[in-house]
Amino acid sequence: MSEKTGDVRQAGEASAKERNPRKLKIVGFLCNWCSYAGADLAGVSRMQYPEEIRIIRVPCSGRINPLLVLKCFQEGADGVLVSGCHPGDCHYQEGNLYARRRMLVLRSMLSYFGIDERRFHMSWVSASEGKKWADTVRSLVEDVRAAQAEAEAGVPMW
Amino acid sequence: MKQSGKAAQDIGNDTGKTAMSLRKIATELLAKKAVGLVIGYGRSPLGDAVPLLVRRAEDAQALQWNQHCTYNLVRYLTDPEVVGGPEARGGGDGSGGAKSDSGKVAVVVKGCDLKALLVLQSENQVQRERLTVIGLSCPGLTDEQGRPLSKCRDCPPDVHNPREELCDLVVGGPVSRSGSETEGQQARDHDFRDVDEIEALSPAERRVLWDGYFARCLRCYACRNVCPLCYCKECVFDQHDPRWVSPAASVASNRSFHLIRAYHLAGRCVDCGECERACPVGIPLRRINRKAAKVVEEGFHFRAGLDPQAKSPLVGFADEDPQEFIE
Repeated sequence: MSEKTGDVRQAGEASAKERNPRKLKIVGFLCNWCSYAGADLAGVSRMQYPEEIRIIRVPCSGRINPLLVLKCFQEGADGVLVSGCHPGDCHYQEGNLYARRRMLVLRSMLSYFGIDERRFHMSWVSASEGKKWADTVRSLVEDVRAAQAEAEAGVPMW
Repeated sequence: MKQSGKAAQDIGNDTGKTAMSLRKIATELLAKKAVGLVIGYGRSPLGDAVPLLVRRAEDAQALQWNQHCTYNLVRYLTDPEVVGGPEARGGGDGSGGAKSDSGKVAVVVKGCDLKALLVLQSENQVQRERLTVIGLSCPGLTDEQGRPLSKCRDCPPDVHNPREELCDLVVGGPVSRSGSETEGQQARDHDFRDVDEIEALSPAERRVLWDGYFARCLRCYACRNVCPLCYCKECVFDQHDPRWVSPAASVASNRSFHLIRAYHLAGRCVDCGECERACPVGIPLRRINRKAAKVVEEGFHFRAGLDPQAKSPLVGFADEDPQEFIE
């Protein structure tokens, strides 16, 4: 292989990488009653949003043990999203309010240990907010991609 | 372990006197059978201050009190091997009052230890009426080299002397540490300055700092085992199915371990500093615990270890909780 072809190939790879960055693995924990229904609405409304999120349906955002989030990161997830009903809308009255406190502490501790905060999002998405769901995923993927670019240049993700 | 000699390392006459009255009180309590067990400090054959369980009045002379009595003896109040299972502790069938007094326990606490007891009370882990709490005023403890312990350097004045209304007995007069009143006040005013220091670093710097510490962690679990508030019968770190955190001592799993350990103490840790003292590789664990405490204090306006009725904020919520981070 001549030097020239090597160069061309490398340049080709670089631009391919730019056009087609590595697919991210993002885990979304969605409460059954609001966010999952919201994501469903986005789907049936044929809204386009990045497919890099894997949705795990849980009964309530109050079900999310911080260990679940850490386990995702440990097993190689690039980002994690926790999404539940808006305050006051919880099917179990108050599960999301417990989740709000827990995730605040978890997020602060992650950041304290130098884990990029942009990798962990929380959102309130109701069953009627298909558009908000699509927007949330878009901004999440953008954030995680930015964090990933920095991580590849320097400190690894986890 | 029967030693009656005068403690060579008593801190001046005051602690010597305190130790004497402590022995007298323990002897009386055991002789009257008001309690069946006194948990205090003794001396190991090598001369170190160690926890001492006294069950017979004639053994009470071995009790000690000096500046090396660091252990938080509240740890033993949830240990079934020491105080028996829930039934012996007066729990279970709720007929606690009918049980004999020999199941009652007297425990020696410093001001900082007392705060841990208050958390155990609030979580219904001890039955306060079956305890005799003997409070000791503490002039500040030192390590083997005679340097003050880090937790004692930051100790606020209202913790030097245990709160009398929460103890059954207080031994020794109130102490005021020379020069420490102002220092303690400063400590209170600049609370969490050790945490702020780390927060001021860039994320990458924080990462390097903590990963350096986590690389040293042996996962010996000394920090967990010595903690008076880690009383779960089965700890998440011992579970095999699901195995939440790998037991391998790698940086990644150690990071999860330390994060979850601190998380489980958020709103509960009273900063008694036992984990940091017990750590064989010198990880600054208080700075991790205190970060969680700072989040809880700023977010939920709560400080642990002040009120025997107050529950951890993480088992509750408020409508006005911060949610700027939520989309």
